Amino acid sequence: MEPNTPRRAGLMLVSPLMLVLLLVFIAPVLMMLPLSLREYVAGTGISDRWTLVNYTQILTDDYYREVVVRTLQLGFGVTLICLLLGYPLAYYMARTTPRIRFALTMLVIFPMLLNLVVRSFGWIALLANRGLVNNLLIDLGLLERPIKLMFNLTGLLLGMSHIFLPFMVLMLVPTIQAIPRDVQAAAYTLSASRPRVFWSVTLPLSAPGILAGSILVFVLTISALVTPRMLGGPTYKVMATLIYDDFLQTLDWPSGAALSFTLTAMTLVIIGLSSRLAKRWGGQS
Amino acid sequence: MPHLTLEALEKRYADHTAVSSVSLAIRDGEFVSLLGPSGCGKTTILRMVAGLIAPTSGRISIDDRDVTQLPVNRRNIGLVFQSYALFPHMTVFENVAFGLRRQRVEGQALKERVDEALASVRLAGLGERYPRQLSGGQQQRVAVARSIAPRPAILLFDEPLSNLDAALRDEMQFELKRLQREVGITTLFVTHDQGEALSMSDRVCVMAHGVVQQFATPEEIYRRPATGFVASFIGRPNRLRGKLLQIGGDTQVELGQGLRLPVAGAPVLPAGSAVDVVLRQEDLRLAGPQTAGHPGRVMLRSFVGARVQYVVAMDGGPELIVEAPSSGPDAELAPGQGARVAIDPRHVYVNAVG
Repeated sequence: MEPNTPRRAGLMLVSPLMLVLLLVFIAPVLMMLPLSLREYVAGTGISDRWTLVNYTQILTDDYYREVVVRTLQLGFGVTLICLLLGYPLAYYMARTTPRIRFALTMLVIFPMLLNLVVRSFGWIALLANRGLVNNLLIDLGLLERPIKLMFNLTGLLLGMSHIFLPFMVLMLVPTIQAIPRDVQAAAYTLSASRPRVFWSVTLPLSAPGILAGSILVFVLTISALVTPRMLGGPTYKVMATLIYDDFLQTLDWPSGAALSFTLTAMTLVIIGLSSRLAKRWGGQS
Repeated sequence: MPHLTLEALEKRYADHTAVSSVSLAIRDGEFVSLLGPSGCGKTTILRMVAGLIAPTSGRISIDDRDVTQLPVNRRNIGLVFQSYALFPHMTVFENVAFGLRRQRVEGQALKERVDEALASVRLAGLGERYPRQLSGGQQQRVAVARSIAPRPAILLFDEPLSNLDAALRDEMQFELKRLQREVGITTLFVTHDQGEALSMSDRVCVMAHGVVQQFATPEEIYRRPATGFVASFIGRPNRLRGKLLQIGGDTQVELGQGLRLPVAGAPVLPAGSAVDVVLRQEDLRLAGPQTAGHPGRVMLRSFVGARVQYVVAMDGGPELIVEAPSSGPDAELAPGQGARVAIDPRHVYVNAVG
């Protein structure tokens, strides 16, 4: 038997995954594309006529626009919260002893062992009008009537930041670990204050991790379905839950498909822009 | 007036003492090397002077001002790291400007100071490059420029040349020394390389196991090693095991069955003690069989350019490595030939087995 060239061996190695992706990902996407350009007539269903209205309505229709804006707010909000909460923890984990790092990594991963529905339900128990948080605040006399923590942006930000925080931390730790201590020490020897070393050296050198963690959390947030569904209820919708309803409730497949492509396009544009930004910031241009 | 003073400086860790009671007084503008094998405490001292490690006890003062408790960023020192520790996300210009910006040097003055620093390490015009676009030697120069640009009171080097290849290392030795003379900054240079320490320094501090062995000029260190450790660390030594003998008023050391060498100076140990003996290759004189000296036989000859090295089996004793200048009369001894080795008693260094 002839030995394989490295190129052919490489092709053989990627081909199983390539086939799966072609069958279950690329093909359905290509089939969805014409679907998103079909007209949907309420009562009769999908007609044979081509139209762009499924895309234009996302921009012109107030309801759609609100959902898109809300989805983006949620994505950026959750990413920012995860970054602010995750960075200090990740920094500590990166600079501590391997034993403590291992223990903390386990703690960070631990919530992910619990089913997503259960975790989201836990937040309902906490945030509901008669939930733990409101009851406690009322019992303490800090509130007269319960404040609305669910079925709005607050609830979704809280719940989803909690659920996606581990991803941010796990992406940040190795990047921060890779920053040589001598480089930070060098900045100190050049009379830099602690905040100056952080802003001018540590943070820019964390850029690859911040970028990777942010993209991951952002993408997971704006495409999440279960948590927004449970904490947002039937009326407070984001793009993902709207797509779900279009496909499975109203059977308005063309709108759902158009919304899906819009979500994907938005994601790609944001990833592209943030990568360029982070590269320039981290001096890797 | 001493410029940098260390008084009874000590660093103890839970399981060992890295630096024990080191006192040094370094003069203004002096170039001092801390020389020793790895783990001797030299880097710990450097990092304590920089303020990166807190001493367990003792005092560090710069210009008679106690800086022991002063944090790193207020000590006004320049430190060149072994890894260079450049800021990879900044241009060469910004790397060098970093310390100057902390001193509020701005605008045209900043540009002039950075250009001056880059010119002094012969990197003028490379300011817009990133560190990753430079060779190892150039990165080293950037690190030096960055540390001297803010005009620190003390310049510290932590084995800066050990990542360079041999040719570049020799070149940088001269350049660093020239640069240090020009800017006149008091310099502490940590190295494990005796060649570097001897060639560059005004004074060398030889360290072992956290203790100063000798602090003197390079010539002094080489000609009159204060301890057996210094003798065995500097130069190219033959390290042998022997026994101390007291014959009449003379101290001798016995190597193997029959070779007895007189030792100069008062005995440091009682007769009969087992001792380590250091005989430097370059201190041994080789001559033909008819001359005075201890008889032996040439086993191997190897030519190393300026010198010829012989392995000589001493009669009734051990093998010694002996050097001779390759242009001298003893350069042509053949293996198998008899030879005599002359050893000056003053160059027989004896220490307790340790």
